[in-house]
Amino acid sequence: MSDPVTPTQQEVLDTLAGFLREIVAEPWIAEVPITMETSFSQDLELESIEFVALATKLRDRYGFEAEFTDWLAGLEFEEIIALRVGSLVEFILRCHSPR
Amino acid sequence: MPFTSVNGLRFHTEALGSGPPVAMLHGLLVGNLALWYFTAAPALARSHRVLLYDLRGHGRTDRSLDGYDLATMTRDLACLLEGFDARPVSLVGHSYGALIALSYALLRPERVARLVLADAPLPPSRAEEVSAFVALPPQEMAKALPEPVRRSLPGGGRRSVRFLQALEFLIARTSFPRDIVAEPDLPDSALAQLSCEVLCLYGESSLCRPVGERLLRAIPKSKLVLVPGGHYFPLEAPELTTAHLLEFLNG
Repeated sequence: MSDPVTPTQQEVLDTLAGFLREIVAEPWIAEVPITMETSFSQDLELESIEFVALATKLRDRYGFEAEFTDWLAGLEFEEIIALRVGSLVEFILRCHSPR
Repeated sequence: MPFTSVNGLRFHTEALGSGPPVAMLHGLLVGNLALWYFTAAPALARSHRVLLYDLRGHGRTDRSLDGYDLATMTRDLACLLEGFDARPVSLVGHSYGALIALSYALLRPERVARLVLADAPLPPSRAEEVSAFVALPPQEMAKALPEPVRRSLPGGGRRSVRFLQALEFLIARTSFPRDIVAEPDLPDSALAQLSCEVLCLYGESSLCRPVGERLLRAIPKSKLVLVPGGHYFPLEAPELTTAHLLEFLNG
């Protein structure tokens, strides 16, 4: 019984990967596979300010606001540093699943 | 949002949450709006409308070649606040960002609700022990960085390379070092004019700690709270920092 507008995991992952490539805008990022397991920090060496830009693009696309700051506020600083692509994708899917 | 053009530059801005307005400012050289975005801002955004921005030359804001003096950077803040919220705004600044907030509060007291000065350095020319730091060759700078900052920059990787490029730009190609060194002290007689409530939040082991004591004496409605850690206590003790900010802003 999923909401007809609920995006699939693959759609969110593809959107996120596209945004990442736009933000980083360096040749290597096009070659790197971006999966649910990819670590923003360890695998991509993403700067924190680039993560902010990614979150903003995703927020504008998927329309979450309070849920996102709540989710972020609930994470420890070290957890944010260790964040994987999958955690962000799952957060977006949770926001869109019927309560 | 996320970009706002004012004062001749395009600023990277982020607004989070809703409620009474708060603007948060990061420090120079090693900072950008991620300092607050990944620490106190999300928790504050549950009960406040929070504005974050990258100072000129920092983060994703335009890399200005000049205007790193306090007057110009205060004008940047004034312009951004004009488009942000008509209500009096609370200001939270770290390091040089605290001096910008302080200077705005002196200029426009009617626009400021509450003020948090987190490890503000005085005189401003002492910011980040800047003169000693900028004299180092770039490869030495990485080693001279404070531990909480270095921890987030694994050696040799993309992030540290980009970080050093940003530092080099500010230090070697802009008026930044000259502007900071030329900045005069704020006299106690000016600080005594502040009419809003002020929280001076300082790192227990920060070199700036005596400045907190000076501000406490000079500013009428001020209190001083010490947080475990050095100059970068918002990164070293983020939960405690957030708790102090919430208590003061909601008080």
